[in-house]
Amino acid sequence: MIQTQTSRDPRAEASPSGRAGRGQDIIGAQISMREVTKKYGAFVAADRISLDVEPGEFITLLGPSGSGKTTLLNLLAGFQRIDGGDILIDGKPITNVPTHRRGFGMVFQSYALFPNMTVAQNVAFPMRMAGLDRATSDRRVAETLEMMRLSEHAAKTPSEMSGGQQQRVAIARAIVMRPRVVLMDEPLSALDRRLRESIQIELRELHQTIGSTILFVTHDQSEALTMSDRIAVLDKGHIIQVDRPLEIYRHPKSRFVAGFVGESNLIEAEVLERRGDTATLRSKAGHVFQAGSRNVPSIGKVTVLIRPERMALHDGPQPGTAPATVTSALFMGETLRIEAAMEGGETLLIRCPDTAARELPAPGSKIHVGWGPQDCWVLA
Amino acid sequence: MTAAPLSAPAAPRPRGAWLKSPALLLVPAVLFLAAIYVMPLIDLARVSVAADPWWSHIARVFSVPLYWESLLRTMKIALTVACLCALFGYPTALLIQRSRGSVQAMIATAVILPYFIAILIRTYAWMVLLGRNGPINKTAIWLGIYDEPLALLFNRGSVLMGMTAVLMPLMVLSIYSSLSRLDQNLIRAALASGAGPLAVFWRVLLPLTLPGIGAGFLLVFVSALGFFITPTLLGGPGDQMFAMHITQQADSITGEGFLQALAVVLLVITLIVVGVAGRLMGFEFIWGGGKLTEVAETPAPSKRAAAGPTRRSAAMVVADAAGWPILRLLGRLPASTGTWAVRILGGFVLCTLILPILVVIVISFSKASYLTFPPPGWSLQWYQKFFSDSNWMAAFWNSLGIAALSSVMAVALGATAAVGIVRSEIRYKSAVMLLLVSPMIVPPVVLGLSLYSLFLHLNLVGTYFGLAAAHAIGGIPIVIVIVAASLQAVDRQLEQSAAVHGASVLTVFRTVTLPAIAPGLAAAVFFAFLHSFDELVLSLFLSSPRMKTLPLMLWADINYQLNPVLAVVSTLEVVLVVGGIFLARPVFGRSRAAH
Repeated sequence: MIQTQTSRDPRAEASPSGRAGRGQDIIGAQISMREVTKKYGAFVAADRISLDVEPGEFITLLGPSGSGKTTLLNLLAGFQRIDGGDILIDGKPITNVPTHRRGFGMVFQSYALFPNMTVAQNVAFPMRMAGLDRATSDRRVAETLEMMRLSEHAAKTPSEMSGGQQQRVAIARAIVMRPRVVLMDEPLSALDRRLRESIQIELRELHQTIGSTILFVTHDQSEALTMSDRIAVLDKGHIIQVDRPLEIYRHPKSRFVAGFVGESNLIEAEVLERRGDTATLRSKAGHVFQAGSRNVPSIGKVTVLIRPERMALHDGPQPGTAPATVTSALFMGETLRIEAAMEGGETLLIRCPDTAARELPAPGSKIHVGWGPQDCWVLA
Repeated sequence: MTAAPLSAPAAPRPRGAWLKSPALLLVPAVLFLAAIYVMPLIDLARVSVAADPWWSHIARVFSVPLYWESLLRTMKIALTVACLCALFGYPTALLIQRSRGSVQAMIATAVILPYFIAILIRTYAWMVLLGRNGPINKTAIWLGIYDEPLALLFNRGSVLMGMTAVLMPLMVLSIYSSLSRLDQNLIRAALASGAGPLAVFWRVLLPLTLPGIGAGFLLVFVSALGFFITPTLLGGPGDQMFAMHITQQADSITGEGFLQALAVVLLVITLIVVGVAGRLMGFEFIWGGGKLTEVAETPAPSKRAAAGPTRRSAAMVVADAAGWPILRLLGRLPASTGTWAVRILGGFVLCTLILPILVVIVISFSKASYLTFPPPGWSLQWYQKFFSDSNWMAAFWNSLGIAALSSVMAVALGATAAVGIVRSEIRYKSAVMLLLVSPMIVPPVVLGLSLYSLFLHLNLVGTYFGLAAAHAIGGIPIVIVIVAASLQAVDRQLEQSAAVHGASVLTVFRTVTLPAIAPGLAAAVFFAFLHSFDELVLSLFLSSPRMKTLPLMLWADINYQLNPVLAVVSTLEVVLVVGGIFLARPVFGRSRAAH
């Protein structure tokens, strides 16, 4: 299950949220992993993983714990020795380059700020190591602290700062040298939700400004969706899919990706007829519906993915809707979360926006659920 | 009567509530130590100044060259030993930290095992090792380095070597504990920031483990100041240390007062060193634990925090000015140099810790009636001699009985005091803790001398109870430190949940707290027992010719003739300690897993 994805140019494919247009030149390096393998005894943490990262790209390694994403990051950083394959930076293998000569920046989950140094000394550390002169170093530290809005904290020690501030210092330390590659190991997972969301946006903007290649590791799918140019979904030491966030969410390649990224309804169905890009399917329970998915086979059994927010609730039966009985209904704030059982036993998860017109349906009440052909995606 | 509040209630307490205060648990231990430890020391000080004018005895200590030269010598030796320990201890601690799995366990055992074996026995092992017919001379001659055996013993070198080896575990464990608390990601972060291995060491590892080095340095220095056994056995006439003068004066019964003045000088110097160090780095270094939660006394930490940054940046300037040129020079060496330096130095230290013990075990099976290595033949005759000699056996049973009684006393008083320290919310908790653990730093010679006059008055000299109580003075701090540490590891929410579900205070203690600290308690019993079983210096002052302990018999025999029976006793002690550690292994494993 190795997929070498020919990477797209992230700039050419501007995403709908308007990520195009960078403020600065791209200084990031191209990273190329060739059949990278790492074993711990009999356990294969990374199994011949191949991945190409474009210069200046923000790529996220997404996967559950034990999927190999952190292993990959550690191999890239040089904390662990690679067992097989090769990693190339701008075409040069780095396997025999020790960590401190790789010239990367790195942000850790635990921040890993040096407690014996002030904020300014922490940020200056990489430049001191590179042997830069005092004046240059001081100027760059001031610039970077300014950029991270940390200027007034320069003389503090890490222990005197909040978690969010500490993480911004860690980011400042990682980018102060304007490294070609910045590695981030779940940097936001120790922060609370609101802080996390604001730093996500900050990081995104920072990436546009500095133009480094960023390799971001996380197990949080929403984080991956908001921040990345591309996401690589990993499972059990393999890359399952590499694509833009929108593609990953709308067109997942497998049940695993569909289940790991977002919520999903998976309906087993049989292809009755195919005409062009539209097919008529019949679910196991007997509900007949249309699916407008480009990869529907012309015959056989398929699994159809319909995201809960693509399901529509109707008060009465309409063409193409299926009757169902509400089993649970929860008010979640901006959405209602409804579970309903279709006749024949399949359970559907429905999310619909909270509107003034709709009351929360009572469990046991009858509803009618519908979706359009374009809301269906057939899994390969 | 359920669910008594476990944390301090803000509301006024009902009358009589103070009877339930955990602080009361401190009373027995404090009373015991006040009577048998603080009072005698005060009395010692009183006698030392009962002269006309009051400072005449003390002035004599500083005016007679014999004494104050010895004082200077003692400081010099203690300082050298502490420096040697730091220099060789750091690579050893790094070696433990860097190794993994069973290798790590083996190295750690090699350091910890000697720590628990009596100083007397380890010193004896060095006498065997460095002896005229010892393995070192024999090997050197066999290799043709020199022809005649050299006099390796009874000089300054052998004193320094022996003391460094004896005190090394203290330093290694102290440094290792601060190394192991380090976030490993800090090292990775430094590497990722472009720091080479040497720069990582100089800018991250060393500054962050400085407290550990400082604590180890002070513990070693303070112990070395009062050292008596090792310099007496390994030193020559020119290596008289200060504590040795006290015992010699005690034997020759000079004028009352001067002897006490000698002891007071040693005690005061020790206290000044500990006091200055405690002000600078916190008194926690004595017991190697974390800070106690204080109720009052909030100004102190804020003051320290305010002083922090300036001191730090001063250290930074020094590190920059002194370190970088050296680092750049060393940076030209191949990258593996550091790793190999750690391995070689650490390996050397492990050899000095383990080899003497192994040699002694081998010697105990020797056929020869004098010390020679390798033994000309094998026999069990010395074991036979030990077990059939009524003097040795009587001493053995005495030691066993005294150690059992002493450990019971130490655990009963120490464990209750530990609960009191951890669970009460009194003012000046640190001061109380300091008093309770202070016997660890008082030179045993001084303690022995002060107890002698008290025991004479109470007719306790040469009694089981007297010796057991004297040994318990040192046993209590050991018990308090171990039990307090395991108490602090108990999850308070477990206790609170038991109380919420209807368990009374005592039931909570019995069903939740006690099982959680049981491993710690068991370890405390073992170490209090071992402390008494190995104790020599106090016993020298407090025993009578009719009642001898095993260390006393060993001491007499070592000074009289070095024969393999001593090796037999040493081997038995090693077996005891190894057995104890082996039995305690699950305990250590569990406590490590809990962290």
